[in-house]
Amino acid sequence: MTTSTVPTTSTRPTASATATRVPKRRRRRHRVGANIIAIAFSVIWIFPVYWMINTAFKPRSGVMTPTPQFIPFNPTLNNFIEAITQTTFLTNLRNSVIVVLGAVIIALALSLFASAALSRFRFRGRKTIMVLILAVQMLPGTALLIPQFLIFNDIGLIGSYFGLILAYVAAVLPFSIWVMRGFFIAIPVEVEEAAMMDGANTWQVLWRVLFPLIVPGVISTSIFAFISAWNEYILAYTFMKDQSMYTLPIWLVSFSTPTGGTDYGGQMAASVLFALPVVIFFLIIQRHLVTGMSAGAVKG
Amino acid sequence: MIALIVAPIIFLLFTSFTNYNQRTLFTGVYSFVGVDQYAKIFVDPQFWWSLIITVIFTVALVVGSLVIGIAVSELLTRLGKVMRYIVTVALIFAWGMPNVASSQVWNWLFQPGYGVINWLLTQLHVFGDLTNLSWSNNTVLALVCIWMLVVWQAVPFIALTTYAAQTQVDQAYIEAARLDGASEPRIYFSVVLNFLKPTILLITVLSIIWDFNVFNQIWLVTQGGPNNTTATLGIWTYLTAFTNFKIGAGAAISVVTTVLLLIFTGFYIRSLLRSGEDL
Repeated sequence: MTTSTVPTTSTRPTASATATRVPKRRRRRHRVGANIIAIAFSVIWIFPVYWMINTAFKPRSGVMTPTPQFIPFNPTLNNFIEAITQTTFLTNLRNSVIVVLGAVIIALALSLFASAALSRFRFRGRKTIMVLILAVQMLPGTALLIPQFLIFNDIGLIGSYFGLILAYVAAVLPFSIWVMRGFFIAIPVEVEEAAMMDGANTWQVLWRVLFPLIVPGVISTSIFAFISAWNEYILAYTFMKDQSMYTLPIWLVSFSTPTGGTDYGGQMAASVLFALPVVIFFLIIQRHLVTGMSAGAVKG
Repeated sequence: MIALIVAPIIFLLFTSFTNYNQRTLFTGVYSFVGVDQYAKIFVDPQFWWSLIITVIFTVALVVGSLVIGIAVSELLTRLGKVMRYIVTVALIFAWGMPNVASSQVWNWLFQPGYGVINWLLTQLHVFGDLTNLSWSNNTVLALVCIWMLVVWQAVPFIALTTYAAQTQVDQAYIEAARLDGASEPRIYFSVVLNFLKPTILLITVLSIIWDFNVFNQIWLVTQGGPNNTTATLGIWTYLTAFTNFKIGAGAAISVVTTVLLLIFTGFYIRSLLRSGEDL
């Protein structure tokens, strides 16, 4: 995104000494007001996450009280222990890991070759493919869900890891190709030409010269594919009808205690277990999030 | 590899002209019914209700998240380093939460009986005793509840993207306007927003597409209820195809939704092209 609009205001050379003297006091007062709004905003925005963690650490007797407890008295890890040991958590975690890894690896491999082809070779229909890739990104989820379900049902892929992996690859591929292509375009053609002059063949140029240069692209694409696949719910919910094949999002939604009924302490502990890796991940990569994803779809 | 996506779409179109249903899943038998499914959709009041709800809900989401997001971005420019860091972390927590998890948290926050939101509202002593208020059983309240959930998660992306663009605005223009005696709001609306226009346009188009397609949050909070009144087009498609197993009809609704969205997509591609992307 480039913001190169020419402003309509006149550009007058500023004497900053006189310019800052006048409004300084006013700005300080603004600073105080801004801080108050910022604190209020942060409290509201963080509250749902806080409430999730707060509830997760409460003993069962402390969850449903007429007056909510804003700090867990005698915090306990029981909810977490129960969520892990008394449900199918470990099986479902394994399913999630298999499906997510499978989807990320296949999507990465396909998007590498597709984007290399789209950015480096000029061929008939290239433009059509690019427009198609953009358009497909915007499709409503059900537009792919219905036909995929029918096709997979015919060829026996419903309820299998491979079926779900393929569905996820289809979901993340367009965006992955789009992002990766951006990284390819940023590499000057001269680099390849120099390698060619030194006697490298096309394959060597691709493997030895280009791929090391697009590692950042590979990383952004994997992050995007990982988050999308880890969080995906409705495809998995539709395809995986057997509890032993659930991925973690379905496990989380269908969470209930052995005694039956909704156990919010346990459910919040389960939410923490499921959400924590992603949230920590976001905090680590936050600086790259805005630049890397501004053209894309890291959103529910 | 495009076939992984294009072939299903063609198959979707094909299915929308058949009476594919639950029995077909086992026997593979279906018959061609032409435009029957479409004819049925357009006389179905539920379709028009879903369309209207989807449009109203999308507009409310886009306007809400953009106004709050852009305001937060402006707020960020007026903060010191520490406060800015705190707000950013709060934003990233909301952004990073998988929406399946945040929907569960929302169900608990708004739970009738012991939910903390009802408790807080009751403490205000304005609306009376709301302890047992059930948000998901009332169409308007359910939509308000889901609206808050989606906006909560949409604001971080909008605020941080806008803020990134806002830091690129040359301070000299703002100083110049200030010297010319422009008031602070005037500077913001005439100078700063002018710079942000391309960014905001892009975010708006993306938000329209995303918000139109909101699914998980509605599904997990109300499942389209009460009485399908909160069923947006996406939810209604899913209910038709996978709960009532009228797959042919579901496919037809999906095609109609896709056509509606493609109108926006064309707009998005055009705006990308204009911002200098070389296809």
